[in-house]
Amino acid sequence: MVEDSYDAVVVGAGGDGPVTAWKLAEAGLSVLVLEAGPFYGNEQWPRPNEEPGGEASSSPEDLSGDLLDEQFTTREFEMITKLVFGPADHERGFWFRKFPGDGAILQCAGVGGTTLHYTGCHPRAYPASIDEQGHWPIEYADLIPYYQEVEEMCDVTPAPVTAKEELFFRGAADAGWDLIEDLNVTEPGYRPQPNAIRQPDEKLHVDAGYDGDFTYPDVEGDTLALGNIAGNPHPRGAPYEEKSKRASNVSFVPPALRTGNVTIRPNAFVTDVITVTPRGDTPTAIGVEFRDTWSGSVEQVDSDVVVLAAGAIETPRLWLNADLPANEWVGRGLTIHFGDNVMGLWDPDDLDETIGSDTIDQHEGQDIAARFDYPGVGMLQTVGTAPGIGAILGFGASASGFAFQNDTAGEPWDTIGRLAGTELKRLLSDYRRMLQILVVSDDRPHQRNGVTVAPGAADEHGPIPIVNYEPSEGDRQRRDELARIAADILREAGASHVHRSDSPPTALHVHSTMRMGKVVDEACEAYDVNRLFVADHSVLANGVGGANPTNTGQALAARTGEKIVERHF
Amino acid sequence: MVTSRIGDWLAVAWQTLTSIGGLLLEFAGIGPDVDPHTRVTFRAIADAVVPETPGLAEELGPEHVPGGLAVDLDEFTVTYVDDGFQLGLPHLGPQGNIPIADPIAHLLDSAALTLLEREDNEREPDLDRALSLLGPDDPSPAAVEEDGIVGPFAKLSRRDRLRAIAIVDEFDVEFAPTDDDLLELDAGLVGQLVIGFMEMIYYSEWQGYDEFTQPPSRRVHPNDRSAVQSWRQTGFPGFANGYAALRGYVGTAESPLGDGDTWATVDETADVRIVRESGAFRENEYDTSGYVEPFPAESG
Repeated sequence: MVEDSYDAVVVGAGGDGPVTAWKLAEAGLSVLVLEAGPFYGNEQWPRPNEEPGGEASSSPEDLSGDLLDEQFTTREFEMITKLVFGPADHERGFWFRKFPGDGAILQCAGVGGTTLHYTGCHPRAYPASIDEQGHWPIEYADLIPYYQEVEEMCDVTPAPVTAKEELFFRGAADAGWDLIEDLNVTEPGYRPQPNAIRQPDEKLHVDAGYDGDFTYPDVEGDTLALGNIAGNPHPRGAPYEEKSKRASNVSFVPPALRTGNVTIRPNAFVTDVITVTPRGDTPTAIGVEFRDTWSGSVEQVDSDVVVLAAGAIETPRLWLNADLPANEWVGRGLTIHFGDNVMGLWDPDDLDETIGSDTIDQHEGQDIAARFDYPGVGMLQTVGTAPGIGAILGFGASASGFAFQNDTAGEPWDTIGRLAGTELKRLLSDYRRMLQILVVSDDRPHQRNGVTVAPGAADEHGPIPIVNYEPSEGDRQRRDELARIAADILREAGASHVHRSDSPPTALHVHSTMRMGKVVDEACEAYDVNRLFVADHSVLANGVGGANPTNTGQALAARTGEKIVERHF
Repeated sequence: MVTSRIGDWLAVAWQTLTSIGGLLLEFAGIGPDVDPHTRVTFRAIADAVVPETPGLAEELGPEHVPGGLAVDLDEFTVTYVDDGFQLGLPHLGPQGNIPIADPIAHLLDSAALTLLEREDNEREPDLDRALSLLGPDDPSPAAVEEDGIVGPFAKLSRRDRLRAIAIVDEFDVEFAPTDDDLLELDAGLVGQLVIGFMEMIYYSEWQGYDEFTQPPSRRVHPNDRSAVQSWRQTGFPGFANGYAALRGYVGTAESPLGDGDTWATVDETADVRIVRESGAFRENEYDTSGYVEPFPAESG
């Protein structure tokens, strides 16, 4: 049951919103979390994509591992279609966002947000990106206690090694890079991914002779079945909170509900922030208006504090559509870790010599479990995918046209560009002998890049987000350097063919559109609206150096929760 | 409470009405029926993106011969792009989605004409290529030509079709598939849908469903490698609950990261190994005072 009034309303139950909600609720505040997408794994919504179900959930008793098992099928195409940002109703298409070129924004709707399909990667920011790049008004050291808290909540540990990680580590070592053992990374090198995925049961060691069915309680923790991009319900049969991937719906939502102070209402798209403005004064947020995505009905709820946690695209869109005070940085400064893909393919004999097997079998192990860090430049990470996602990520998109149109003489890759036709089929016939490296660059905030809205281009929730992204010369150079390092590592690991996508800008990691120091102050309260806070990746002052942003977003959201209590309650 | 019940009743009544409305629209032909020109154009796309490849039989094996048309990839892609984006009206279901396959097909024709004008085509356009893409339910070849069912795109060679799609990426123009008040799509989306998404659909589990458009709780998938043509071609074994694939954790003799028996040595010089037990990352002291930007760091 949703009340008319709360101490705090949190807009969005994505990666970060539940963290702030948990902090506020722990302090005794009543909290309503409004989420645009569905609530998977909850008994109030046994068929979340087919019927409206219940109204809201306030109890951890509603959470169901069995329902997650049923709804998260791990079938890649179905799950991508199910999770990508759109209404719960399976008959209706995605919510459209305009993105330049043939790139895209990959965000999810639903409780858990984009952590539903993230790969659990939880490194910290590179310290220099916060202390030396000139964007942040606070210091890296301020975040450390919150990192520690989040890492404990999410069971962040070194990722396990399967064949593909061993191959990458060998390549990185042979390319002359050092092993990094640290959480606070200041020098380039390789290391296991700090992953928010519970480590696999030791029974799953290749030497342990396991012949069970990989279900709970026979095995606990990760089952090395890939599938994080498709939601990861493993181990099958486990209660909701024993699922291995610590997406925010598993790590933060249950403790938030256990406080007894939190209500989560899914299928509720916030379209307005209500403010009052005493004459001549700064506006004060007093509530929000939201629309039920199944019925279309519009409701309003009052609150002492409003926390925007709708993500770096929707939070500025909401600000702009709510007609809040103009600020030249609202929506601006978008960073997306301007990325690329570099794919290696191997001959069977070479593989056998390197890793003792003539296949890599990227579908085994965790999706992303090995990384290369380069503060000031960005990062690389190995990616295992099922073949459909592998095809679109590795071959389906390019800013360089088709591979057959491009000359690669003198380049460190054999082919570059989009692949289709016979060449595509030939390369993908080697799916079990390919390893993809995702290039993630430390792109910098530029005011031209970001989210705007325009009258006319609207959906049921008002003008849609129109995104602009054009990397700078420095951004391109950082990405090119990482792509060269990736090709070198693959060659050193024995790859016989290296393919570079030259991907168009695609937003997998999305941040810095409501930056701390520009739109919000050091406590993440808006400069121009009292009692309006932002607790999502949009407040990151830059792209945290190219490291995966979830840990930093959550650490900051935890800190913001404490600041809200200190300031207003 | 009474108000809420009335509200529920109204919601159900509205839902019923609009569902019937949707059916009526469908009967009236304003619905998911696919225009023949669109059908042929999407066949031409599928035939270029994932072609039948008899030449791969000897090199890789007979399972690598069939392409997208053999599994009706074209038909599903039309459904997928037409259902992909919506107006945001609840209760209209699929009728509230914006059909964009038709404008995409016409845009590809205009890209084909641009290719021909630039004389960047490798081979001459040929009507027979397009006619070979017709199915048993299509009008006769004579009618096809007369009615404009075959556009310039479908007459191109496979590789020239890809060149035409690459031209679409250059188009800055925007087209509005419905009207200006609803939504504008930029041409870049076209390449993403007809190349990227078509490849993802083909190489995913999609072909194994009885009927993907069923509600999720009623979809049936055999999860059997033999049931999916592309899985037979990639060797993907299907989705599994787990793999006993753990080799261990990275570590060194001095490192806190891992410990225990060695599975393999990764780097002899630096003593990096894969070991049996996991350790933890180090909460290290850090010093960033020597940080230098490796590349230009323009900001603002």
